[in-house]
Amino acid sequence: MARADLTTSLILIALGVGVLAESLRMPRFENLGINPYTVPGIVPGVLGVVLALFGVIMLVRTLRTRGAAEAAPPPSAEAHPVRLALAIATTLGYGFVLVGWLPFRWATFLFVTGFVVLFESRSAQRRQSLTRIVAFAVLEGAVVALAVGFVFERIFLVRLP
Amino acid sequence: MFEGLTHFFGAIVTMATWSTLFSVAWATLLGIAVGMLPGLTATLGLALLTTLTFKLAAGDAILILIAMYVGAIYGGSRSAILLNIPGTPANAATSLDGFPLARRGLAGRAMGISTAGSFLGTIIGMMALAAFAPLLAEWALSFQSYEFFWLAVFGVVVAGRLTAQGDPLKGWVSGFLGLLVAMVGQEAIYAYPRFAYGVTDLAGGFGLLPVLVGVFGFTEVLWVMKNPAYQAVKNATDSVVPRLREVFRHWVTIIRSGLTGTFMGLIPGVGEDMGSWVSYALARNFSRKPEEYGDGSIEGLMSAETGNSAAVPGAIIPVLTLAVPGSAPAAVLLAALFIHGVRPGPLIMIENPTFVFEVVAMVFFASLAILIYGLALTKPLLLILRVPYLKLMPIIFVLCVVGAYAITSRLFDVWVMLGFGVLGFFLRQLGFPMAPLVLGVVLGPILDVNLRRGLVLSDGDLTPFFTRPISAALWILIAITFLLGSDWFVRRMRKLADRVTPKSSEDGKG
Repeated sequence: MARADLTTSLILIALGVGVLAESLRMPRFENLGINPYTVPGIVPGVLGVVLALFGVIMLVRTLRTRGAAEAAPPPSAEAHPVRLALAIATTLGYGFVLVGWLPFRWATFLFVTGFVVLFESRSAQRRQSLTRIVAFAVLEGAVVALAVGFVFERIFLVRLP
Repeated sequence: MFEGLTHFFGAIVTMATWSTLFSVAWATLLGIAVGMLPGLTATLGLALLTTLTFKLAAGDAILILIAMYVGAIYGGSRSAILLNIPGTPANAATSLDGFPLARRGLAGRAMGISTAGSFLGTIIGMMALAAFAPLLAEWALSFQSYEFFWLAVFGVVVAGRLTAQGDPLKGWVSGFLGLLVAMVGQEAIYAYPRFAYGVTDLAGGFGLLPVLVGVFGFTEVLWVMKNPAYQAVKNATDSVVPRLREVFRHWVTIIRSGLTGTFMGLIPGVGEDMGSWVSYALARNFSRKPEEYGDGSIEGLMSAETGNSAAVPGAIIPVLTLAVPGSAPAAVLLAALFIHGVRPGPLIMIENPTFVFEVVAMVFFASLAILIYGLALTKPLLLILRVPYLKLMPIIFVLCVVGAYAITSRLFDVWVMLGFGVLGFFLRQLGFPMAPLVLGVVLGPILDVNLRRGLVLSDGDLTPFFTRPISAALWILIAITFLLGSDWFVRRMRKLADRVTPKSSEDGKG
């Protein structure tokens, strides 16, 4: 955790200083004769300072306890790094690319089917043949795409992406 | 007092229609299902349901959301007892004693106790809501910008302190990041678009619901995918109807936990998880058999479930009277109130006096629903735990995408949801709690406007921020919270204590 905290603290300091600099650049509307205590930059500026301060505290704390904490084992997140990466890739692929590029129902069908096939076929507890997994996934994808489309558009009267 | 009772019964009578009861029935059941499924939290359920119901009439939508909220916090106890996995974070303390009971073949008894605890906890919280919301609203009428500014800071600081396990600094970072997120977009006084860089979508700011769905929905999906699968369920073979004597034997614990839970709910951003942990800790402290705790103590289970359910109405109190959420799901409820044109805040008892009691009646209906479901539908409900999560997660994610899009029909909101989901996942991985972040996003505009307005009123003088009585109380509490959470101060205090009592110096070096 120590190395992660070190990086986080540096990012926080950079963010805080960056926000402060941006806040100072915000207009003060002097030509409008407004009250100087109401300028838009005041609150973000203060928040930038506070965040940078938190970053410094975290940095000092991490440097102080460095030797002791280094021996700690890595967090359990490393248990399934490939699975996690695949999950992030498929979900972001659906949200950023498929939705908006394909009609919603097709995008959803492809995503749900792909997701289920990908993860169930890789699962350690897999008991079914690949054909069965694919068949069920296609069915699930179709049902979800049609049902979500119907429920949102017809019952809740919400527009779909 | 009597006026309140009249309003309450009036609300119950007007609301007791078939359509209301039907809405309560399905929304509570859906809430229980959401709560039971590990990986689906009350916040996620509420956020998705808000996007689904925003075309409904205000009263119907709020009713559905409250029923979902009460149901989800209760439903989480099922998976805590049967799988040793809390269905929502609020049920973590439940699993400590619930799971050992289930392992001994007493799953039914444990579920019965949790049902009784949740019902009674909700009722205690509900009475507090009815009694204190009008008083708090009246008191808050004396709040000016100075007080609202400190209230916003107080919320973020206290939530950061209490939700970050063992490391308050990370909670505060999370809370202040949330405040910063709220700064993006047009500010409320001159409509200057901060941090927008000419992008129209950024000038509109980050919507609260996309951020919430990202942080509590998408993050949760990734979290579940990261962890190994859970194993399914034992069946409950014993009776689920709790013996009344067993329930009433613990009446002191029930009342104490109910009040503690309500109070924890009342504190901005703290909510159900702390409601249950603090109730549990107190119950163990006062218990005659503390050695049973963690090994299947009925009393412990009762205190945890009473505490988290009581926090639900508790968290609604500041939503209605101060427009400040008491917990993460309550933040969604607050957003939903704004969407539906109900203006929560100190004026609510003047502008909309019956609404508070309508909410009380809604909580009452939902608590009845969990009691009935809990006692009558135990075995069918267990089927929910057999849903394979690999098949469920893509569906949840699709709902996150549609939910983020639904309110304003902007693809930008979907991207915000995705961005905050990934960010939330990595922050959570690094030990940053998410509730203060969301609270920061809600409180950011309040803090921003009230600090600047206060400075105008005082003509740049900071004194009123520190000398007005309520302001003073708030900033002193904030200072104490900061001090007690800082390593430096705690070390100093320990050294001082060691010097006074030299005997304890051995464990004083930390």
